[in-house]
Amino acid sequence: MRTGRYLLKRLIYIIFVFFIISILMFAIYKSLPGDPVRMMMQDNVKPEVYQQQYEATKKMLGLDQPVPVQYVKWITNMLRGDFGYSTEYRRPVKDVIGVPMRNTVLLNIFSMILVFLIAVPLGITTAVKKNGVFDKIVQVVTIIGYSVPGFVIALLAIYAFAIRFPIFPISGVKTAGFNGTGFEAFLDTARHMMLPVLVMSVGGIGSITRYVRASMIDALRMDYIRTARSKGLKEKVVVYVHAFRNALIPIVTVTTWWLIGLFGGSVVIESIFLWDGLGKMMITGLNQRDFSVVLAMQMFYVILSLAGNVLMDIAYTLVDPRVKLEN
Amino acid sequence: MQTEKKKVLLSIRDVKQYFPIKKQSFREEQKYVKANDGISLDIYEGETLGLVGESGCGKSTFGRTILQLYPQTHGEILFEKDGEMVNLKEQPANKLREFRKEMQLIFQDPYSSLNPRMTAGQIIGEGLTAHGLYKRGDTELRDYVMDVMKKCGLDTYMFSRYPHQFSGGQRQRIGIARSLALKPRFVVCDEAVSALDVSIQSQILNLLSDLKEQEHLTYLFITHDLSVVKYISDRIGVMYLGNLVELSTTEELFERTLHPYTKALLSAIPTTDLDDKKRERILLEGDIPSPVNPPTGCKFHTRCYQCQEKCKKEVPVMRDMGNNHMVACHYPLEK
Repeated sequence: MRTGRYLLKRLIYIIFVFFIISILMFAIYKSLPGDPVRMMMQDNVKPEVYQQQYEATKKMLGLDQPVPVQYVKWITNMLRGDFGYSTEYRRPVKDVIGVPMRNTVLLNIFSMILVFLIAVPLGITTAVKKNGVFDKIVQVVTIIGYSVPGFVIALLAIYAFAIRFPIFPISGVKTAGFNGTGFEAFLDTARHMMLPVLVMSVGGIGSITRYVRASMIDALRMDYIRTARSKGLKEKVVVYVHAFRNALIPIVTVTTWWLIGLFGGSVVIESIFLWDGLGKMMITGLNQRDFSVVLAMQMFYVILSLAGNVLMDIAYTLVDPRVKLEN
Repeated sequence: MQTEKKKVLLSIRDVKQYFPIKKQSFREEQKYVKANDGISLDIYEGETLGLVGESGCGKSTFGRTILQLYPQTHGEILFEKDGEMVNLKEQPANKLREFRKEMQLIFQDPYSSLNPRMTAGQIIGEGLTAHGLYKRGDTELRDYVMDVMKKCGLDTYMFSRYPHQFSGGQRQRIGIARSLALKPRFVVCDEAVSALDVSIQSQILNLLSDLKEQEHLTYLFITHDLSVVKYISDRIGVMYLGNLVELSTTEELFERTLHPYTKALLSAIPTTDLDDKKRERILLEGDIPSPVNPPTGCKFHTRCYQCQEKCKKEVPVMRDMGNNHMVACHYPLEK
């Protein structure tokens, strides 16, 4: 009951924050130098015709109206699910953004699964066998993993797995001229996805492993672990049930932020692998002053991080009974 | 107290427990903290053996070593089971788990020894399901756990509360209920009341002695509080720097103190009697030496107020001074 009220309150806050941010964003993009109308026009016409066409386009895009009116129009359309018109692609943003969104989400989900499959068990094992040889090796490897920048790893991976030993394609989402459907298409995309997923996972595995290890070591030091052992529980139960559940809070925090970061952080990786995703879309949009696209994406990130915060709070209550969502 | 024909429940022979210290450099010799340095004693069925000593003298380590919570360095710990003495150190991990049912530990700190993610009912019931005595989620288990809770002075409505919702005394009761739920024969109470305030202490002590009567328990009662140990124990062992220095029945120890260290300890018990002028307060000088490099000979000689040449060279052995009063001193005090 109280949790319900708290969540309702949070929701109202979120809506409030969302509107404030949307106003700020809109203002910032309006004040940026560069004229989207001009970017859309062809230059090789007579000045009078050009001026006429310019006015017409401006009117069509609704840019002749005062800024507050533009904002209200934009935000109402946004809320209706109409994200505006892309001046770069000359199509509605909604149509433009669909495929990249799917590609990015695909990439991120797979790298997240990979990271968790590897990092959590690795972190637990190294914590249990603290200071052993295996632990020390993992420590060194994970430090390298998360301190080397993503683009370096990307280039190394390309060199190793696409040039030296051409196992995976260098870049792209699918093979040029490939027309298969269904499972075949999926396999083709999966092959292309391999390298970017691998590269994106390296940093994540490094940091999450270390977080899991650190919080597991803390949990294993607690007295209740000794209690659990003296009860005569199996070591597996002690480690996975008693210790891991208590180690979850810091892991939840890190994971949530990292999850949100994945969507923005993939800009570099996507550009390197020419992966037709949101990151690449964002860069092109900014370069081409395609503000409708950029704004729509920015708002997507805003919603993502706001929702992430609430999800994190809910996750806390799930892993720790001491946390109650009330105020 | 029935002194005739006491059955030995635990027989401890020359137990040593060393912990390695992290080396400063690679070539340095490996050093150890000698937490227990050769302790031998018998624990009889149905008795309460008090263990006292300064902090850091290895009392808690000894209790945990008996329960095999540390990989034991040296010595034998024999536990009586079905008429046989079983060496716990030689038991493989899964066999040892069965012994855990019989020997339990009540922890010092009721705040950190309960898993914050589990309800009181889960904490108490987990050992039972782990040993296959009850099935998880069984109503019988629930009834049994509530029974134990009642016995330990907890209300049954507390069953599904989490540890942070309890007070310190209640938490200690949960700890006790948890240990006793398995119907152990031997319980190590590691400073079981030290973290509680005095009014709760006496409640818990009474609870422990009541439960002992009902369940025929044997206690190893570890504490630094001499008034507590005097109240609850049948026999008392005094420890100094990893060794047992004196062991006798409670009355004997207080009446006929033989070891100078025990004498100093006893003289430190605060009294409310203002007219007690006869009491001499023995102040020990200096700190307790490091258990990494303990003094040669008698470990107590650096602080002993009647130290002689012999004490610095020869290690005193435990000897019986009559009346089952054991002492490890070259020059025991006699009145």
